[in-house]
Amino acid sequence: MKTLRPIVLNLVTWTLVLLIAFPLLWMIITSLKPQSELFRIPPTWIPESITFEHYWRLLSETPFLRYFRNSVVLAVSTTVFVVILGTLGAYSLVRFTYRGRETMAMLVLFTYLLPSVVLIIPLYLMIASLGLSNSLFGLILAHTTFALPYALWLLRSFMEGIPEDLENAALVDGASRMGAFKDVIFPQLLPGIISTALFTFILSWNEYLYALVLVNSESVTPLTTGVMSMLISAFNIEWSLLMAASVMMSLPLIVVFAFLQSYLTSGFGAGGVKG
Amino acid sequence: MTAIATNPPRDRRSPLERAYARLGVLLIAPTIIVFSLVIVYPLLAAIYLSVFSIYTPTLQGDFVGAANYIELLTGGAFWHSLGVTLIWTVGTLSLQIIAGIGLALLLHQNIWFRSLARSLVLFPYFLSTVVAVLVWRWLFNDLYGALNHGLIQLGILDMPLDWLGSMPNAMIGVILVGAWKYFPFVVIAVLARLQTIPENLYEAARIDGAGPVGRFFDITLPQLRSVLVVIILLRAIWDFKEFDLLYLLTGGGPVTSTQTLSLLVYQEAFGLNQMGQAAAYSVGMMLVMLAFMVLYIRRTGGK
Repeated sequence: MKTLRPIVLNLVTWTLVLLIAFPLLWMIITSLKPQSELFRIPPTWIPESITFEHYWRLLSETPFLRYFRNSVVLAVSTTVFVVILGTLGAYSLVRFTYRGRETMAMLVLFTYLLPSVVLIIPLYLMIASLGLSNSLFGLILAHTTFALPYALWLLRSFMEGIPEDLENAALVDGASRMGAFKDVIFPQLLPGIISTALFTFILSWNEYLYALVLVNSESVTPLTTGVMSMLISAFNIEWSLLMAASVMMSLPLIVVFAFLQSYLTSGFGAGGVKG
Repeated sequence: MTAIATNPPRDRRSPLERAYARLGVLLIAPTIIVFSLVIVYPLLAAIYLSVFSIYTPTLQGDFVGAANYIELLTGGAFWHSLGVTLIWTVGTLSLQIIAGIGLALLLHQNIWFRSLARSLVLFPYFLSTVVAVLVWRWLFNDLYGALNHGLIQLGILDMPLDWLGSMPNAMIGVILVGAWKYFPFVVIAVLARLQTIPENLYEAARIDGAGPVGRFFDITLPQLRSVLVVIILLRAIWDFKEFDLLYLLTGGGPVTSTQTLSLLVYQEAFGLNQMGQAAAYSVGMMLVMLAFMVLYIRRTGGK
């Protein structure tokens, strides 16, 4: 009985884990199946032969690479913009005292929970009147609406974790506030900044609604709406191609998971689930 | 909050403190400007737009007073969508919580390749909703879908099911995919809390003769209570406002059976081109959500 228990526990856990991971496995398997094998009934659970033709077609015959480039520009710009503003803002919210500070913190939290559909209508009008429809800049501006409150909130939590004594010691030694920020706070905050940047990047990379409403020109279409339009416009849906696109679209995520996962988990601890 | 307590009254602040306060305001100023431009202004504009009747393609409109709100209250569409939203939220959230706690408890044990197992479980949460939806629509495919054939081979189904095209399957389908996509959030939060429960509590319970089930209800669950309240509130807010997953999986269909409030607002603004009415729906939706938000902000004390 004593030796059996861990084995049963492992089997149960791993069965469940594989069940949860199955859709992802199936995505990869489908993307590697030749067209002839795809519509077999019942489906072949393990592919009889493997092909990379769908990946090749995706990169050479579809606008996938342009969508990918747009998404990179969009997500990187949003992340850089928001993390710079957020770091300065969080430093101000945590380490300075002035009137309206608490109100500002509340506003950040409120907007962090606000639904996008409430903002989408006026944003659509605003971006149209500024002449920014169908531009990546307009989309970056729209992404700020969810990315900035999010980044600020996360960075605020990280900032609160840095002992105040460190900064005070630097001030006593004659450093200015910004000098202390650069030499003391920033190095301490760096893991938090990386974590926030990763989260913001993923949020922006995955965003769909704003791209759907604000962009209808191929040249600025990001991956989310671009890949979806490949599904809708196709006469007969090419699932292998779509699964290959899905795998490619998840590449940045896979890289983050493989190398930077600890930053994701630490971000989770800070992101409002401290309980 | 010690900073406030030790701070001398405003008029007696030293020049250095006043300089610091100025620097603090200066640092937050860019954020305030961007906030006002892209969040506060649109929010107020949404409320303003809700008393107009605006045709989306031309953006021409007339002041209609409370007409959009009267339509909201008496038209039925809002209440229907509110009902759908509540079914979706309660359904997917309960599954997320149950699966999340269950898996967190299993992954807390000493299993083989634990970190790999955790990564695999975490992955769906970070996946783009577009990717999740594509994969699931392929799995749900009524002719070639792996789900139907898997369930037939296991003897659970006799005939392939139409997963997303009919009710109640469509609602069950979106609830399932929603649970799959978002339960890892619960797993991570619960796992983090589990690691902080002192082992000696379990030791004591074991000495008192409590079994695994008893230990779960007497120790684990009470210890998890506070974190669970926060998770439930946060996830309730996020599930309530979910757009991408439902829009891409069913588009609100069949007909309007899975049309949640977010989809109703979108459909009214960009499908039916009634921007004013859509703004009124979005304000109504926000008022409903405000209850959750206030509860969450109260609960976490703004932390």
